[in-house]
Parts: sequence; structure tokens; C-alpha cells
Amino acid sequence: MSRYVIGRIGQAALVLWAAFTVSFILLQALPGDAILIKFLNPELGLGPEQIADIRAAYAADSPLPVQYLHTVANFLTGNFGYSIHAGVPVGDLILANLPQTLWLASLGFLLSVIVAVALAALSALAPFSWLRAFVQSIPALFISTPVFWLGILLIQIFSFQLRLIPVINPGPWQALVLPVLTLAVPISAPLAQILMRNIDHVLTEPFVAVARAKGASHRWVLWKHVAKNAVLPTLTIGGILFGELLAGAVVTEAVFGLNGLGGLTQRSVNDQDIAVLQAIVVFSAAAFVLINLTVDLLYPVFDPRLRVKQGAVA
Amino acid sequence: MTLNSRFGTKAGLAALVGATFLTGAALWSAGALAAGAEGAPAKGGTLVYLEQQAHTNLYPPAGGFYPNGGILNQITDKLTYQNPKTLEIEPWIAESWTVNADATEYTFKIRPGVTFSDGTPLDAAAVAKNYDTFGRGNKDLKLPVSEVINNYDRSEVIDPQTVKFTFKKPSPGFLQGTSVIGSGLVSLKTLALPYEALGDATKIIGSGPFVVASETLGRELTLKVRADYKWGPAKLEHQGRAYLDEIKYIVTPEDSVRIGALLAGQADVIRQIQAYDEKQVEDEGYLIYAPSTRGVNNSVVFRPDNPLVADVRVRRGLLHATNTDEIVSTLFSANYPKATSIIAKTASGYVDLSQRLSYDLEKAKALLDEAGWKVGANGRRQKDGQVLELSAYESLPQPQNKETLQLVAQQWEKIGVKLNVLTADSGSAVVNNLDPAKAPVSPAMVGRADPDVIKSQYYPTNRNVLLQKGGNSDKVQAFVDEKLNQLLDRLASEPDRAKRLAVAGDVQNYVVDQAYAIPIFEEPQAFAAAPYVKGVSFEAVGRPSFYNTWLAPRR
Repeated sequence: MSRYVIGRIGQAALVLWAAFTVSFILLQALPGDAILIKFLNPELGLGPEQIADIRAAYAADSPLPVQYLHTVANFLTGNFGYSIHAGVPVGDLILANLPQTLWLASLGFLLSVIVAVALAALSALAPFSWLRAFVQSIPALFISTPVFWLGILLIQIFSFQLRLIPVINPGPWQALVLPVLTLAVPISAPLAQILMRNIDHVLTEPFVAVARAKGASHRWVLWKHVAKNAVLPTLTIGGILFGELLAGAVVTEAVFGLNGLGGLTQRSVNDQDIAVLQAIVVFSAAAFVLINLTVDLLYPVFDPRLRVKQGAVA
Repeated sequence: MTLNSRFGTKAGLAALVGATFLTGAALWSAGALAAGAEGAPAKGGTLVYLEQQAHTNLYPPAGGFYPNGGILNQITDKLTYQNPKTLEIEPWIAESWTVNADATEYTFKIRPGVTFSDGTPLDAAAVAKNYDTFGRGNKDLKLPVSEVINNYDRSEVIDPQTVKFTFKKPSPGFLQGTSVIGSGLVSLKTLALPYEALGDATKIIGSGPFVVASETLGRELTLKVRADYKWGPAKLEHQGRAYLDEIKYIVTPEDSVRIGALLAGQADVIRQIQAYDEKQVEDEGYLIYAPSTRGVNNSVVFRPDNPLVADVRVRRGLLHATNTDEIVSTLFSANYPKATSIIAKTASGYVDLSQRLSYDLEKAKALLDEAGWKVGANGRRQKDGQVLELSAYESLPQPQNKETLQLVAQQWEKIGVKLNVLTADSGSAVVNNLDPAKAPVSPAMVGRADPDVIKSQYYPTNRNVLLQKGGNSDKVQAFVDEKLNQLLDRLASEPDRAKRLAVAGDVQNYVVDQAYAIPIFEEPQAFAAAPYVKGVSFEAVGRPSFYNTWLAPRR
């Protein structure tokens, strides 16, 4: 077991280092840099010598390997540098955006799982075939709903017309209701679809026919055999979707004016604020590694065959 | 020696003030006066102000960015106050001042008893330190020089309430420069911080009527009133503390959410409202404020270093092919007056050049024909196998800039010239826009209520919008216009007020004559406010001031 864990941690560290290095190289390859954009921007009206001075002060012209080692050393000591654009430490920026993102992503994900499971269950158990067909078409509808439009619509109805939930100065829970709804719709769609398709697929497996032949009811077969088998691929997709949620709720954040890593990423790309982007990449890589590790560890819970395999490793 | 000596004759000043007042008494000032007539201001309450974008670095010289200015204007005071109606410079933190005849020495008497919100005195020493930093920058702290201060040499503290500034060359724009957002006075503690720490609003310690109480980075900012504030601009009717208890800035990027929140009573004032939304807001009985930024108009400029637009006849042709009336009436509202020179009517030194900015397709075609660009088989103008195809990058901060450029492109299409309107992330846009080969055409504007603004815009070592050699772009091959630069130099260093305004007129004439710029409209900063928000005012370049603002009971 410990070898397994150490191996996984080593792997995670390697992934993180690779993510850091690749992103460092890619970010350096961008045509501009934050210092250039911030100070060259005509808005400040600086002369060429002044800009040269500032570049020198930021050591922006020192050789790349030196900058790389410098940045690695800083990251290892938890110093993520400063956002040139916002004029605050990157760590503060991440901290200001992370909690909201985590809440939004977790609740959005939770709700989308509930919606997906409900849809899949309905599609498998609904009494009429027209109802099943309708339920099965819902994911397609959800996926084609523009998030932006949905967010605005929800705000218009619930906040501006019915005046139930303020968008400005909301309480901590009020702030999450509409964005979580908005997020859950597009995320639940692929989950529901995969769940439905797998249920259909597993239903055609020979062991289901055997169980049926033994006199098991449709409901019992679904619950005992099909659900467990259909959940595994969904779990994998779910892990990826959740990872995306952490940095991907840009539109939702913009519409609701929420802080979040998505918006921060978008703004930092726009301003080519390399220090911020570098930190976000490393953070996102860490989150993905963590989520995938969790998914890997959850697999055996659902599939006893994997449990045996893992036991052999440990 | 007082204020007047610098302005030349009293009569000249009076004429100037009269003229600017007549032309400059814009919609909003009338509104502000009317609001004052509605009974006594009520104290207390929180003003909820929706911002479109989060503020960035709050080092005062970076106050030009609209969201930054909207904050700095409440928390910092300036040495002088520029009356937004008359554009006259009035006492504020400086009780009085003297300027020598050639505008190389300025001496200010500082009002006694002023303190920063950290309790330290705002005295001559603090003022000297502020201007040494703004005028020279600080390499160790990476603080850049302020755009509005030209030719700065040094300061001298004569006594605790008197400070003298010396300049290397005449700097007649300096007095006005002491009144702008970018010259907000901050405490020594703030000035000791490196540039990259000044995005944290709580670190910006000013002496203004409001103080930063708390901040959620990128999302929310709360200002609290300073109860002991008693040093507002001397000539303002309102003295003492501000009426509001609190101002809450909430970043709400989405246009429709800001408007919806205002109309649903969740917010009191919103910044940045598009012209096409104005009617909806006014129909509900809410108010639009569109104070002018009084500087160089929203224009399209050429980069003559690019051979395609190096010929003045080509530029003139494109100028006459641009239908400004159509742009203003299609995309904008009455709050966006059509430009009649390269600077706004309300800017000092303005001359009316509307005759020379006419829309005249026949003239445009003739000019391009004359320059050798003939219409080819595909309807495009060609010369020596080259097609007259130009590109411009959209400027995100300017209102409906992409739509404006696209309309210009349609208009130029009529005479066979193609304009590609490009969109890019602001990073690439900044870099590409500094390359005359990639951006032979560019949108441009800048606000400041002093003729120096023209120099800021066109001078190679300032904003350099025409991209002359020796400026902020290393991509320029050869283009330099010595005549223009000499005029701009004179503009920034002519101590005699009347002569200086004459030079301002010469520059406007010259830029239009060379068709370096096609002025489109006078850019305001547009706000909407609930009707119960009274006494909203704006400084001379359209940044809001809430010192005088109060909340009447909601109906």
C-alpha cells in the first residue's frame, strides 16, 4: 500500500513539474509580457527610457534559464510573485478567488450529478415510451442551452422580476443559488447522457439476460447490476468535468459578477499576466492530479474486481 | 504674483472662461445644479456603485484607467481643484500659489491642519515627496513617472507649509497637472511601497473625504466617510464631511445585469452604459450622466510609417470618406457629440475645424486617384500591384469601438479601400498596435482638461499614437514629423497663456491638415443613476465625485 501511495505521489510531483515547465516555456513564448503590456500601454504615456528602466527593475531581460530557476525556487517556497496587472501578490489573488470557485464547482457538480441520476433513472423507469424518449432528449437540450443566456434569464426572472434573490449584495447562500443552477445545466447533460447510454448498453449484456431469466424484475436488475456497471465510466467523465469546473466557469462568473479562477484566468490571459497564469496552471494541475487520484481510489469501491487487483499491488 | 500672471491678461482669462462656460455647460452640470435645489441634503446611507471592471494598480498616476479614477477621486485630494464648469484652477490643498514668468518655478502654500487618514500630516514635506515621485519616478520601487508632469526637476521644502517646485524647462501645464486624478496626494507610507503592492486599495492612504474600509480583491470595495474631513475645495458650497456614510463598489461585468440591478433597486449608480441602453434607462425615470472627458477626441489615427498611408493625399481621401454623422447617429446618442476638431469643444484651446472635416465622397475619390490608387477590376484600389488594404485593432476601453471601426470600414469600402477590423487579447493588441506594418490605422483617445493633452497623445516619447521613430515602438522605420514635434514642444513649454492657446490651435490645424487623425466623436464617460441619488458630480475629465452626493428618500 505505501509503495502504491509513494508511487502515486511521485507521479503527481512529476506531473506538476512537467506542467510548470511546459507552461513556463509556453508563457515565455507569448508575443508580449505583462510588463510590456502594462507599461507600454499608451494609457500611462511612458517614454522609451522609462520603460527600459522598468524592465530592468523587473529583471525582465535576464536570461530565461535564470528566470526559470528563480521562479521554481520562489514557487517551492510558496512565493508566487506579483500580478503586474492587478498590483497584488498572486497568492492573494488565488486566495480571493479559490473559495468561491470551490463552492461553486462542488455545489454545481453535486446538483448536476443529482439531475443526471434523476434523468437516467427516469429514462430507464418511466412508464411510457414517449416519456422515456422525452427524458432522453433533455440532455441534448441542456447541452445546447447557452450558459450566458441561461444565467441572464435566471437573473431577469428570479432577481429583477420576482425579486426573490438579489444579485447585488446577496447573502453567502443567495449568491450561490442561481449560479449553481446555471452551472449544473450544462454539466449534467454529458453526465446524464453517458449514464443513459451505459444503462442501455449494460441492459444488453448477457448477465442481465441471465438475471432476468432467473425472474428478476426490471427495477431490481437496474439497481443491482446495471447501475453499478454504468457508474464507472460516468465517474471518470465526472472527474474530468469537475476539474474543468474549477477553472471553467468563466461565463457564469462574469454574468453573476462572482470571483473565481475562471474569470481570473481569462483576465490574466488577456493581460498576459504570466505570474498569475503560471500559478493557475500549477494549481489546476494539482487539482486534476488530486481528483484523478480520488477517482482511481473510488474505482475499487464500485468494482470488486479492481479491488482484488489493487490488493495484489499492495 | 498670482494665478492671473500665468494666464496673461485678466481680460483674456475672462474671455476664455466665458467661452468654455458657454460651450461647456453640458447636460450633467445642469442636472447637478437642479438636484441641489431640491431641499437640504440628507446625511447617511450607503451608495451602491456598480463597476464594469475591477480596478488595477492604484498608484495615482495610473488613475487614468476609468475604474481606478472612480476610486482615487474619492480617497485622495489634489493640490488644486479644476472647476469642471470653468476649467479654472482653484485652491484645494494648496491655499495659494505663485508661478514665475517663464513657468519654471511654482511655489505652493499648503493649507494647515490637513491629515492623511493614517494620521500623518499632509504638509509641504509630504507634497514634495509626492511630486518627486510622480515627476521623476522611483526606480527602486518601480514607480513610473506621471504622464501629466513635464520637465520636472526638483522640490524644495521652504517651511512646513510652503513647497517650491523647479523645472528644467517651462512647464505651463503643471498647475493644471496638480488638479488631475493622477496627482492624488498619498501618505509617505503609500509612497514607500513598491509598484506591485499598490493594487491593494487598502494600502492607498489619502486625505480624501472617503477612506478604504475593506476590499475583496477583484469583486468589492467599501469606502467609509471620513468624519473629520474639513478641507474640500475652498470654493465649493459644501464643506465638511461628505454626506454619504459609505460607498460600495461592486464589480458587475455584464451590461444587462448592471442595468437590471439599477432598475430593480439593487444599485444606485452604475458606470459604463452603452448608448443603445440609454433610452431604456431614461424611460424608467432614471438619469444618464455623460460628462465629457475633454481631451483628444475619439479618433482614428494613421501611422504614416506604413507606406500605404504615407501619402497625405491617401489620408485626406480617407478622412473625407469617413461619414462621422452616420457613425454618431447610428451607434451613439446625443451624449456623444460629433467631433469638430481633434480635441473636444469643451477642451481649452479648441478651434472649430468642422469645415475641413467634411464628408465628401467625390473629393475622397479624386484624392486617391491623384495619389495613384486606381479602382481595379475587383472594385479595390490598387497601385503598382499593391492593394489598398489596411488593418486596425479594436480598442476595448472605448465605447462601441469595434462597431465604430466596422462602420468606418463600410464607409471606406465605398471608395474601394478595405479596412480589416481585428480583435485580439489586449496583450497581443498592445504589441501589434505598436507596429505600423500591422496596424496602419488605430483608434485613439485621451482625456485631460489642459492643452498638454495634445502633446501627450501625439508626442513620440509620450503616447505616440502616430508611431514616430524614437518613441515606444521599435518597429518604426523612419517616420518622424519634426514640425509637429516642435509645435507640441512649444505647446508644453509656452508660459504665456494666450500664446499657448494659439499654439494649441496651430497643432489642431496641422494634424487635420496632414490628415493624421480622423476625429469621430467627443468621448464622455457614461453613467446611470437612480433619481433619488442627488448631487452627483464629476471632475473635469468625467471621473465621478461623491463628496457632494446624498440619498433622497426613495419614492
